[in-house]
Amino acid sequence: MSASRESEPPRRGSKSLWRLTFGREDWGDRIAVVVVIVLIIAAMEIGSRFVPDYILPAPLAILEALVQFFTHDLGQIVVTLLRLAMAVVFSMLVGTLIGALMGMLPALRPFLSSLMIIDTGIPALSWMLIAIFWFKDAEIRIFFILTVILLPFYAMNVHEGIRALPKDWLEMVESFRPSRWQVLRYLITPHIAAYILLTTKSVIGYATRMVIFAELIGATVGIGTRMGLAEATFRIDQVFAWTVFLVALNAILQVLVSAAEKRLLRWRPELEVR
Amino acid sequence: MTPRAPLIELNGVTRRFDRHIAVENLSFAIACGEMVALVGRTGAGKSTVLNMIMGTLPPDRGFVRVAGLDPFADFRALGGKLAVGFQTDRLLPWRTALENVELGLQIRRVRKTDRRALAREWLARVKMQSAEDKYPHELSGGMRQRVSLARALAVDPEIILLDESFSQLDHVTSKVLRTDFAELVRSLGKTCLFITHRIDDALEMADLILVLAAPAHVVLEVRPRTELAGGAASAAELQGRIAAAMGGDEEDGPPGELVRTGSTGAR
Repeated sequence: MSASRESEPPRRGSKSLWRLTFGREDWGDRIAVVVVIVLIIAAMEIGSRFVPDYILPAPLAILEALVQFFTHDLGQIVVTLLRLAMAVVFSMLVGTLIGALMGMLPALRPFLSSLMIIDTGIPALSWMLIAIFWFKDAEIRIFFILTVILLPFYAMNVHEGIRALPKDWLEMVESFRPSRWQVLRYLITPHIAAYILLTTKSVIGYATRMVIFAELIGATVGIGTRMGLAEATFRIDQVFAWTVFLVALNAILQVLVSAAEKRLLRWRPELEVR
Repeated sequence: MTPRAPLIELNGVTRRFDRHIAVENLSFAIACGEMVALVGRTGAGKSTVLNMIMGTLPPDRGFVRVAGLDPFADFRALGGKLAVGFQTDRLLPWRTALENVELGLQIRRVRKTDRRALAREWLARVKMQSAEDKYPHELSGGMRQRVSLARALAVDPEIILLDESFSQLDHVTSKVLRTDFAELVRSLGKTCLFITHRIDDALEMADLILVLAAPAHVVLEVRPRTELAGGAASAAELQGRIAAAMGGDEEDGPPGELVRTGSTGAR
């Protein structure tokens, strides 16, 4: 008797990877995005003809300012991106560790959980002002602000991930008599990877906005600082240009995280709801 | 001929959960190479007995020995000696069929090239070689259970414990799978203890059937192969005796199912 005579395996989803990425539905979405962008540009162009430049600049002026950033302010962009990357990676590592401790050490759970809940209740602005009092160095200020804001998201979601770990899987792995380290490596880490990625996906936009705020308040270099300078010198074209840049940056970061998600979580079945 | 030393031994084992007695003064021994079925109604304490043999639960009284060790106290020492097939396949969804079979070998710290070769060999033995790169959600229930059995057998355990491993499958798939499994286990000379509430499964596969009644204690021992081969009883008589000892009719399916099993030598 062969396995093939047993009940039929489920068929792969009818959507191929090509269709999922470039399918008609996606093209429809993309066309909608382009239409919205064109409408916004047209509205700005028309509006700019009726109001002064310092209220609404023409799209061409914004484009010129945007091009200037890449020739004159590339360093500012790199500094902001590095700050963002360092804070996200650090928060991911430490938040995951705290979440894992919450999930694996019941005695510590109530203390760490309370700490995380209190942290999430503190407004970002409070942390920014506190950081200015506490730290002289701008880098430490920004790193601190981003970390205390992002860390609880990772800790809470990883904890939820560990709580959602099926007991059946744990029993199965334990039937092979593994060490604690092996349980962590072969079962818990791959299981919580999905939670870490989904957290990153949801906080990346928020983190980008926070790093700009933090730079505006507590730094002398970076996109936030440049936006503050543009406001102070009545360069609204630059404010708009930085805004366009940040929207594009957020979209690129989302695409990158989604690509990582597709790659690392390729084992997940695609669900189709009729 | 010298009697074979017991590989699994329970002596006067009692286990309570608060006021509920799940197992009471249970004693039995399983020799090396035997295939033994623990049969009983739902709630008879079969799973508690299996958990104590697996080492996830200690007895309150009496002792359990597996390969000469206390499975609860010497939990890690039994690594590689004992493997478990569960009621559901419990495949890890992020691992392909091949990687799932490799899991136990990874935990046993087998080198990558060796464990990959072993995993491939076991997938071939359970007739799943063509599915090694497939993820669990791409396989049928029967195929997943085959991969799960390959995972248990790949660590080359002396003892295999099965917890109703075929009960979630449809009748035809279940029969094919348990026939293949029994042949494989016998050819390898492994010791196997499986729990089931289906009498036809037990009669088809087991050398020894232990019928449990709640709180888990042995109410009947049957050696179906010996009795059927010697003509001491017919398959239907054995089924009736087991059903009566379980405290009523067989839970799963009519007694007539037995005549289709074939491999017990009933016909």
